[in-house]
Amino acid sequence: MNNVVTKAYKLLRKSKQVTDEPQTDQSKRSFVGGLVGASGLAVAPGVMLYETASAKPADEAVTNKIRWGMLVNVNQCTEDCNACVTACNDEHGLYPEEGSSTDSQWIRKLTVKDPSTENTKSFPVMCQHCEDPPCVDVCPTGASFKREDGIVLVNMHTCIGCRYCIIACPYKARSFVHEVLDNQLPSTPRGKGCVDSCNMCVNKIDAGENTTACAQACEKDGHQAIVFGDLNDSQSEISKRLKDFGGTQIRADLGLNTGVRYQGL
Amino acid sequence: MIGVKGINILRSVLIGLLLAVISSATIADGSKVPPPKGAQCVEDPVWMRTHHFETVLHQRDETVLHGIRTEKHSLKNCIDCHITPNKNGEYARYSNSEEHFCASCHTFAAVSVDCFQCHADRPESAVREAIKQHKANGANPHEDLKTSASELILKSSLLSAQSK
Repeated sequence: MNNVVTKAYKLLRKSKQVTDEPQTDQSKRSFVGGLVGASGLAVAPGVMLYETASAKPADEAVTNKIRWGMLVNVNQCTEDCNACVTACNDEHGLYPEEGSSTDSQWIRKLTVKDPSTENTKSFPVMCQHCEDPPCVDVCPTGASFKREDGIVLVNMHTCIGCRYCIIACPYKARSFVHEVLDNQLPSTPRGKGCVDSCNMCVNKIDAGENTTACAQACEKDGHQAIVFGDLNDSQSEISKRLKDFGGTQIRADLGLNTGVRYQGL
Repeated sequence: MIGVKGINILRSVLIGLLLAVISSATIADGSKVPPPKGAQCVEDPVWMRTHHFETVLHQRDETVLHGIRTEKHSLKNCIDCHITPNKNGEYARYSNSEEHFCASCHTFAAVSVDCFQCHADRPESAVREAIKQHKANGANPHEDLKTSASELILKSSLLSAQSK
């Protein structure tokens, strides 16, 4: 890790473009984003935008003024708690069979252990809602797409079930529906032959609730480990937390600029 | 003798009568489709009969790609209004070509409808109730064998029309 930071710092010093001015060039922006992510410092992408997140009228399209994201505080997440997973399943009508390796998992709890210190950490991993999603790059039909507000989705009307995106995703966030389903909920249509994954509760967001089922459940359980909010709004709680405490991206080295960040990982 | 004008008038009267018969079909004693919740459809019913998929198709891309979720032409809104419980308080599944609003006409017209392989064919409250019952019985709500989706697809297709 130290090596990465040193290398990144050297690169930063060499670069003549490191100023406080807003940088519009995509390559520079992703360079700085990846750099800060790799060094574990706080980053709130696009902090030059000051629009606040509020419920949009139902007949208006989503815009890129908002970028939805989540911050998971790993220190507040406990190994025995599964509330976020249960809440996600309830919200979206997922009923995975116990022990099934193929049933859809939109969010899963991971426990990692550092072999040298035996320190274990438990945290949820879901679609990381990348700014440059590999799943979108590889989709042959354009069914895998990123919404203007940063949410990465599958358009199941055009998904042909090739599963290319499942292979491309570094986070193993996507699942394929292998069997016919019944009793799907109206707010989350899904079915056999399509790929699905965490949709950051678009149904809730579009209804103006501006939260996710996992974040709600975590708060209800008293852990408050998941904060949902607008990464583009410097006044939002998520941006403030990222500014104060920092946040890491999983596999920041890939430079995907994820919308889901982890604190204390 | 009836002139050309007379024939035209007679024809329009006959068409009018035919439409009136079709329009009243849903509320006639012969139909088992429970009446919709609302008094008035979001568009002219005659136009809807032939063009409803244009609105649904348009709305689906608006919703999925751009997050526009207006109620008027949403499939959810159609279902919420048109799929109502029968006298026994049961919601018809789309395998039920006699009682389910969509299935009744689609079976008659021999046009298979794929929407409900993924989309809910009943209002949310009815789906939630079914899920609750399955869980109480220790069954997986996705694998309801009595109304498994594959069976629903078979039943709702031409097969049911041919078997009559």
